[in-house]
Amino acid sequence: MKKAILLVFSIACCFFVMTNVSFAEYPERNINGYIMWGSGGALDNVSRAVTPAAETRLGKKIILQNKPGATGAVALTYVYNMPADGYTLLYGSENPLLYKVLGITDKDYEDFYPLMLFINSAGVVCVRADSPYKDFADLIRAAKTSSKLLNAGSTGPAGLPFVASSLIRAVHGVKFNDVSFDGEGPCITALLGGHIDVVCVGAPAAVSFIRSGKVRALAVISDKRVPQFPDVPSLVEISSEYGKFFPWGPFHGVFVKKGTPDHVIAKLTDAFRFACNDEKFDKFAHDFGGVKLALTGTKAVEYIRHNQSVSAWLLHDMGYTKRSPEEFGIPRP
Amino acid sequence: METLSSFLIPILNVKMLLLVLLGTFGGIWVGAIPGLSVTMAASLLISFTFSWDIYDAIALICGVYMGGVYGGGITSILLNIPGAPAAIATGFDGYPLTLKGEAPKALGLACSVSFFGGLLGIIVLLCAAPIISRVALQVAPRDYFLLAMMGILLLTSMGSGDTIKGIIAGALGVLLSMVGMDPATGEMRYTFGNVYLMQGISFVPAMIGLFGVTEGLSQARDVTVAAIKQNVDKIIPSLKLLLKYLPLSLRSALIGIWIGALPGTGGDIAALIAYDAAKRTVKKPSAPFGQGAYEGVIAPESANIAAVGGAFIPMLTLGIPGDAVTAIIIGAFIIHGLRPGPLFMVETPNMFGVIVSCLLIANLAKLIIAMCSIKFFTKVIDVPRAILIPIVIILSVIGTYAIQNSLVDVYWMLGFGVLGYFMRLYGFATAPMVLGLILGPILDSNYRRAMQSVNNDPIMFLRDLVTNPISLILVIFIAYMVVSQTPQWRRFMARVRAKARTNNA
Repeated sequence: MKKAILLVFSIACCFFVMTNVSFAEYPERNINGYIMWGSGGALDNVSRAVTPAAETRLGKKIILQNKPGATGAVALTYVYNMPADGYTLLYGSENPLLYKVLGITDKDYEDFYPLMLFINSAGVVCVRADSPYKDFADLIRAAKTSSKLLNAGSTGPAGLPFVASSLIRAVHGVKFNDVSFDGEGPCITALLGGHIDVVCVGAPAAVSFIRSGKVRALAVISDKRVPQFPDVPSLVEISSEYGKFFPWGPFHGVFVKKGTPDHVIAKLTDAFRFACNDEKFDKFAHDFGGVKLALTGTKAVEYIRHNQSVSAWLLHDMGYTKRSPEEFGIPRP
Repeated sequence: METLSSFLIPILNVKMLLLVLLGTFGGIWVGAIPGLSVTMAASLLISFTFSWDIYDAIALICGVYMGGVYGGGITSILLNIPGAPAAIATGFDGYPLTLKGEAPKALGLACSVSFFGGLLGIIVLLCAAPIISRVALQVAPRDYFLLAMMGILLLTSMGSGDTIKGIIAGALGVLLSMVGMDPATGEMRYTFGNVYLMQGISFVPAMIGLFGVTEGLSQARDVTVAAIKQNVDKIIPSLKLLLKYLPLSLRSALIGIWIGALPGTGGDIAALIAYDAAKRTVKKPSAPFGQGAYEGVIAPESANIAAVGGAFIPMLTLGIPGDAVTAIIIGAFIIHGLRPGPLFMVETPNMFGVIVSCLLIANLAKLIIAMCSIKFFTKVIDVPRAILIPIVIILSVIGTYAIQNSLVDVYWMLGFGVLGYFMRLYGFATAPMVLGLILGPILDSNYRRAMQSVNNDPIMFLRDLVTNPISLILVIFIAYMVVSQTPQWRRFMARVRAKARTNNA
C-alpha cells in the first residue's frame, strides 16, 4: 500500500514538474548579451543605452558583457556555438559582413536572425585641428603628391576606418599607410597626438572632438549631410562617383542564432521595438551622432545584404580580400 | 565660484557620503578577496546603479575604486595571492615580511603610503589635469613599446628563484600572450582552429591561477605547518618612519600618476615600474629587495593608487579612458545621458568637483577603515591552512567565472594553477610569467604600430627613437638599465668611487 501511494505521488510530481516546464514562459531566466566590441566604444554605448528598456518589457535581465576580439569574430563564434534558445544574444556592428571574404571565419550574419538594427551612423574623415589640410581636396592633393605616405588610422581589416579609406582610395586613386589600433577611440587619441595624419571614424566616436574644435571634419562618408555637422560636405557632394556606394555605413544591432524558436524571436523583437520607440532613445541617437534605424525582420536582412555587397566588392576590387565575394554568392551592389 | 561649490556637493549630501563610505568599505573587501577584482565590481555596479542619480552612482564607484586598489595589496602581503594585477608587485616584499611576522607593520605602511599616493594623485588631477593630458597624448606607440620593454627587463630580476629561471618564465608568458588573433592583420596565431584559443589567453584567469591556486596547492603539501606569529603591536607607522619614506612614496606616486594618465595603461604597470625604480634608486633598503624590504611595499602601493588619480585625467579632459575602470565609468556617463569628451568639463562643470571630492573622501575613508581592520585581516593568517586553502580555491573559481561567465576561463585558471605548482617545485617563480602575459600584448601591438607608422622602415624607426624627447629619455633609461648590470660598469663605478675617496682624503 505504502509503495503504491509513493508511486502515485512520484508520478504526480513528475507531471507537475513537466507541465510547469512546458508552460514555462520565455524568458524563464536571465539572458546573456555579448557585445562584440570593447567597453566605451560606439557599439557598447548603443547596446547599454537601449537594453534597459527592453529588459523592463521582458521582465528579466539581459546581462551585457563585452567579448571583443578578432573584429567581433570571437563574440560571433561564441554566440553561434551556444544553443539557439534565445538566452544568448549577439550585439554586433557591421564588421561580420566582411569575415568571409577576409578569411577571418566562415560565419557571418547569414547564420543569425536580426532582431533589431538600432542605429546607423556615418563615418567622418577627420584630421587634427592644426593640420595643414583645410578641406578634403587638400587631403587628396597631399596624398597624391607627398613623398612620404600619409598615415591613416585603422582598426583592422574589417573595421570602418579601413573600408572607408578604401572607398576614398577607389575613387581618387590615392594610397595611405595604415596603422592599426585597438578601436576608434585609440585612433582618435593617436590623431590628437600627431601619430597619424588622418582617420575615418564613425561620427559617434568623433562628435565630441569635432564639437570642441580639437578635430576637423573634412567630409562625411554618406550621400547627404549629417544633421550633427551641417557644415561638413558629404562625399557625394565632393565627387558624384561616390554615389553608387550609398546608402552604406556602420550599423549596430542585436541578433540571435538562426533556428531560435519563433515565439522567442517575437518576444525579443517586441521588447527591442519597445526600447527603440522610447523617446529617450531618440535623444540618445541624436547625441550619439547617428540615425535611428529600428529595422527588423526582412527589411533588416535586405539592409544588411546591401551593406555587405558594397563593402565586400569594394575591398575585393581594391585587392584586399582573400576570397572573392562571388564564392559566397554576394551580388554586386 | 560654481566649481568651488561643486566640491561641497558630496560633503553636504549625507546619502552621497554614506555611499562613498560604503563603496570604500566594499572595495577593500572586493580587492582583498582573491579572484574578485575592482574592474569586475565596477562593471557590475554600473548595471546595478543604472536607475540611480548619476552623482550617487559616481560616489559609490569612486569609493569602490579607491578601496579596491589598496584591498588587492592586503592578500598580496598576507597570503602571496594578489587580489588584483595592481597588487602583484606589492607581494614581492610584502609576503616575505609576513613570513618574518611583520605583516601588520607592512599593512600599516602600505595603508599610509596608499593614502599619500592617492592624495598626490588627486591633487595633480585637480591642478594639472589639462597639461598632463596634453603631454600624455604625445606619447607615441614606440614609447608604449619602450615602457613595456622596461617592464620586461624588470622581469628578469624579480621574484624568488634565480635569474635565468625568471627569464624563462617571463619569456614563456610573453610567448603565451601571442596566442590568438594578430592585432594588426587579423591572422590567427597558434589557434589550431579552436575558437577558445582565438580570443587569446587572458591574463586575469592566468594570474588567479598562477598565484591563488598555485599558492594553495603549494601550501597544501605542508598543511600542518603552524602559521607564523604576527607582531600586532606596531601597526600605525611612527611619524619618523613615515617621514623617512615620504620621498620614495612621493616619487613612486609621480610615476603612478604619469602611467595612469597614459591611455590604456594603469595601476599594474605603474606598480611594476615604481618597484623597479625603487630597486635602482634605494641604496640601503631595510632588507634586500625580495626578502622583506619596506621600500618594496611602499613603492608599488604608492604608485598603484596614484594611478587612479592619473587615470581620471584623460577621462575627464578628453573622454579617453586611462584604464579599464575609467573606461567603464565613461560608459556609465553615456548611459546616464552625459557626454564625455573634450567639452565634458565645460558642459558638466560640477562633475569634476564631485569626482575629486568623492575621491578625497574615499581616500580618507580608506585610511581609517583599513587601519582599523588590519588587526582583523591579520587574523586570516591564523585560520588553519586546511580551511583557508579550499576557501581560496573556491573563491578563485567563482572570481574567474564572474569575469566573463565563461567556464573556459576557469579551466585555463586551473590549468595555470597546476602549471604554477610544478614551476614552484622546480624553483621557477610565477610572477614573471603573469607579467609576461600582461606586457606581451602591449609590446607586440605597439611595436607593430610603430613600425607601420614608418612604413616598416627599420632605419626610420630607430631614428624616431632618438629624435623625439619622450622616446629619447626612455631609450636612455633602458640603456642605463642594461648597462648598469654589466661587470664592466660595476668596475668602472668602483674606480670612480675610489678616485672620489682618494681625492677627498
